[in-house]
Amino acid sequence: MANNDVVIRVQNLKKYFPINKGFLIKKHVADVKAVDDVSFEVKRGETFALVGESGCGKTTTARTMLRLIDPTDGKIEVLGTDISKLSREELLPFRRKMQIVFQNPIGSLNPRMTVGQILTEPMLFHNIVKSKEDANKKAVELLKMVGLKPFHMDRYPHQFSGGQKQRIAIARALSVDPEIIYLDEPTSALDVSVQAQIVNLLLKFQEELGLTYVFISHNLALVRFISNHVAVMYLGKIVEIGDVNEVFDNPVHPYTKALLSASPIPDPAIEKKRKRIILTGNVPSPIARPNGCFFHPRCPFKMEICDKAYPEMKSVSSKHQVACYLVDKREV
Amino acid sequence: MGSILSVKNLSTWFYLEEGVLKAVNDVSFELDENEVLGIVGETGSGKSITVRSIIRLIHHPGKIVNGQIIYRGRGKEEDIVKMSEDQLTEIRGKEISMIFQDPLTSLNPLYTIGDQLMETIMKHQHVDRAAAWKLAVEMLDKVQIPEPEKRMNSYPFEFSGGMKQRVVIAIALSCNPKILVADEPTTALDVTIQAQVLDLMKNLQKELRTGTLFITHDLGVISAMADRVMVMYGGRQMELAPAEDLFHKPMHPYTDMLLKSIPRVDIKQESLEAIPGQPPRMIDVPEVCPFAPRCPRRLDKCSKELPQFAELEPGHFVRCFNPVQVGGDINGK
Repeated sequence: MANNDVVIRVQNLKKYFPINKGFLIKKHVADVKAVDDVSFEVKRGETFALVGESGCGKTTTARTMLRLIDPTDGKIEVLGTDISKLSREELLPFRRKMQIVFQNPIGSLNPRMTVGQILTEPMLFHNIVKSKEDANKKAVELLKMVGLKPFHMDRYPHQFSGGQKQRIAIARALSVDPEIIYLDEPTSALDVSVQAQIVNLLLKFQEELGLTYVFISHNLALVRFISNHVAVMYLGKIVEIGDVNEVFDNPVHPYTKALLSASPIPDPAIEKKRKRIILTGNVPSPIARPNGCFFHPRCPFKMEICDKAYPEMKSVSSKHQVACYLVDKREV
Repeated sequence: MGSILSVKNLSTWFYLEEGVLKAVNDVSFELDENEVLGIVGETGSGKSITVRSIIRLIHHPGKIVNGQIIYRGRGKEEDIVKMSEDQLTEIRGKEISMIFQDPLTSLNPLYTIGDQLMETIMKHQHVDRAAAWKLAVEMLDKVQIPEPEKRMNSYPFEFSGGMKQRVVIAIALSCNPKILVADEPTTALDVTIQAQVLDLMKNLQKELRTGTLFITHDLGVISAMADRVMVMYGGRQMELAPAEDLFHKPMHPYTDMLLKSIPRVDIKQESLEAIPGQPPRMIDVPEVCPFAPRCPRRLDKCSKELPQFAELEPGHFVRCFNPVQVGGDINGK
């Protein structure tokens, strides 16, 4: 990381999905608070990970940050400009700077377009190249960069394996020279032996091109390997955030602890000795979240105060914050 | 402890228009009573087809072309490959039951879970409705579903993913089978729910002493569950060893590389070693080592002939001409 300037600053970001009832007269009855008052910063050249289980709001956070969906409230500063209220036209230059690689490459590549078309369309749209020939030339370059061959230009997505499709999706994201790439579970549809190829490819591009990654995953092992900072989300809120090694080696929030202890380690000797924190019950509905700390009904360390008020974010160290009352109880 | 199931030289092929897809080739292994045998492999490695062959869930154009599957659970040796459909119906669900990956599709949405549990119990244990109801409630209690009496009348959609998988486990274990086949039972679940379900499965397995075939692509899950592990690649067995041996001193280059290519949550790794290339196409494969094109330890003869599946150390079988001697112990650090 050459310089430490902030490229994304998210402040009090909220995304509520309204629930309406009634047939002719629609009445607003409740909100699904998918993202609820989330704030964090992402520095240039780093990988920032959002982790959590399904329904915790990690993908919604990322899509709101990309303005694929509009936020209910809050600020999203990208490269110094608040993009949360920009119009479509005003957003265009930022669209170029922020790209996304989706989880499922089958769904994100148009089956009727050749790889060449998939790669050249964004360049032509954003006027990055002068002519079609230039676009084709650059597309071939991109294919080589991601480990594919020039003759793949004329093929269709269905002719590729899952790992190769994800390489194409990465090449497409790189085609417009972005500064930030959102990676939404980019390897969870892939086999383990191919996952490592894609991860290494992503790390290579980050180093060579100075990219900033926002990485969304439920795979904590992968998050630990790939990212510098991590935010753990639960029911729309960040419960713990900080440097990935600090958070994973010294988790304070019981949810983070449970997530880590639930992630299996590929070593039978360790697994057999390990004491797991097994959480009881399921994640509550995001419509009717519990009072106080949302985690208290499942929390093995529940205290009296926990169902009264939501705990504030407090610092554990300079690089590590947590929203849990336990932080004051730790041995000082 | 004797082996309850012996699979000998099992081959299952699919006759497709493009050619013969040799999904499983010459697979042999034993499953002991009260043992958990893990089968790991990537998509298309043949692990699911292997276990589906064991309960004969192979449909046209697939066919078990060779091999024996000897089941010893009923005091005699019976070859499942030779059984008639009627005999299979007696075995499936009672002697050998199966848990699939997606609990949503293995439960019928139109019946209450009580009906589905009782159907299995009444079919195999020849009891009346009242007795079956009682047994069903007991099973739900055993898989830790709260208020089992009340939940008997619920439909599958009223359950969360983890709870549905518990119901599937309850159905699978309701007739106290000697063998349980679990095909990626936790892949569709969130990690904290996965931990709950794995914990439950482990405890029930110990309690009921069921011989279990546990299939997964997740090496972390397998190390938590399995006593022995079999690694499959390209429709063949590559390595079979006690779990700790396999993880600490893998001998097949594929296993070795696979272990180095997965990230770990407990330590910060400097790099992941990717396995170059793609998994093999399965149609019209020659009789050579399927991993040869991706293997860094490849010898000339690897792409000419197929290595034997040989016992290189007691209980440690490897199919390789050039096995890793000093295994890349991922825990060596």
